[in-house]
Amino acid sequence: MRSQLVKSKARRPKRRRQGLKSWPITFSPFARALALARMPKRHSQNPTSSVNIPRHSHSSDDESFDGVIQADFSFFDPKPQDFHGAKTLLQTYLDDHEWDLSSFVDLILDQTTVGTVVKIEGDEDEGIFALVTALNFHRYREHRCFFTLKEFLLRKARQDKAVADRLRLLLEEQSRVVGLLVSQRMLNLPPQLLPHLYAALFDEVSWATEDEPTEELRNSFKFKHYIILSKIYVQKSAQQKRKPSNDNDEAIIYVKAEDEIFHKLRNYRPTGLVMAVEVDKIATFRQELASLISET
Amino acid sequence: MATRLQFENNCEVGAYSKLTNAYCLVAIGGSENFFSAFEGELADVIPVVKTSIGGNRIVGRLCVGNKNGLLLPHTATDRELQHLRNSLPDQVVVQRIEERLCALGNCITCNDHVALTHSDLDRETEEMIADVLGVEVFSQTVAGNAIVGSYCVFSNTGGLVHPHTSIEGLDELSTLLQVPLVAGTVNRGSEVIASGMTVNDWTAFCGSDTTATELSVIESVFKLREAQPIAIVNEMRKSLIDTYV
Repeated sequence: MRSQLVKSKARRPKRRRQGLKSWPITFSPFARALALARMPKRHSQNPTSSVNIPRHSHSSDDESFDGVIQADFSFFDPKPQDFHGAKTLLQTYLDDHEWDLSSFVDLILDQTTVGTVVKIEGDEDEGIFALVTALNFHRYREHRCFFTLKEFLLRKARQDKAVADRLRLLLEEQSRVVGLLVSQRMLNLPPQLLPHLYAALFDEVSWATEDEPTEELRNSFKFKHYIILSKIYVQKSAQQKRKPSNDNDEAIIYVKAEDEIFHKLRNYRPTGLVMAVEVDKIATFRQELASLISET
Repeated sequence: MATRLQFENNCEVGAYSKLTNAYCLVAIGGSENFFSAFEGELADVIPVVKTSIGGNRIVGRLCVGNKNGLLLPHTATDRELQHLRNSLPDQVVVQRIEERLCALGNCITCNDHVALTHSDLDRETEEMIADVLGVEVFSQTVAGNAIVGSYCVFSNTGGLVHPHTSIEGLDELSTLLQVPLVAGTVNRGSEVIASGMTVNDWTAFCGSDTTATELSVIESVFKLREAQPIAIVNEMRKSLIDTYV
């Protein structure tokens, strides 16, 4: 099992929930993962509302965070026990479309050779903080959830005919060399983990091309393109969909920072949510990601 | 018969619905699949009513009821109260109660004869429960948890409790409730039983993640395989000498 240990420290006593500071009182591992998934989102999505919180509760929060929080994140191969945590992270993968999410999660967890799950070292709860994997379209084309996924993507791309055609080409004719890059994490996860996370994924893909037992499986990891679904905020002319303290020059806000780099390297114009990236650009992506993270 | 379904990709069907022997409450959802599943099973026997409680969709966790009555928290609006009074059969008493713990579905669980309650409920609430629902009230814990409504589900024929309940706890509860109990899980290992499923005397609805093993345990403990919605069973119960083990 290839796992790496990554220590992360908060350099300034910011109000970042990096560690196990306040576990919600829940009984089951699943409920705790669910509550944890909600906690960081609440802080990252509505910082304006935090101003309305009365002063005393604000400061009492700060008092408990009086310094550095130590958290040891570890990378693991996906295991069947991770089902509930992974399902929570992927809940909004296809927006609110009803689809067979459970079997999609099962597919991800079955593919132990390529795919990484981030958990806290020694945590008996086994709550999942992040998930990355790459799934070959051709290998899983028989599964109903992939069928629904393809339909969803093509439907979203329908506005632009040229893009829709190229997407259909990728998803059907060229599906043998196209992979779905799934990367979901809790929004407040320390960004220092990201270069290692993506390094782990791309290394595993290249190892799989050599290590897989059968010829067919080896070939299934020789990707030429990755499809990525990402969530973004697009500025409408009058309306702003994000907090006003952001610089107003940005036309698009990416929920996950690395998607911006993918966007620059993309093969063709994204349909707002879907991007296809050529594999050769991955090396550039890794460099830029490293520089982006060290700047922030 | 037990049915597996989802509410908008969420397997917690017990949170979005409330099933009793006389009526069924269902949350208002994005797609009609959830409501249709209930209607398909129940439409010709009992009314299936779409509602919200205090604007919330988690109707299963906010209210508690049986064939005699329905208790709503103080957050329920007048409009919702009126809607429920109009839609439910006349013999069902719909009552809104002033209770600090407003997630009644989490604090109270009942069948047509017995209720288990959270230990912190007010005296007046317990009297109201006994009055409106026509049940005997017992203040209990399940596997050390006070929120009995979340970790225990029972009908007139059987019950399912939190998987970590001890044998002594199971025996004690079974004596109080006078139904056979089993400790188990739902939705592929979820311990919050009442959130993952909802049941009455002849049918049950579980989240679609429920495994075949869990489903067979549910069908056997709630005796769903041979069950039919006949009123005679309920009538006969009063004259039956205690036959439960």
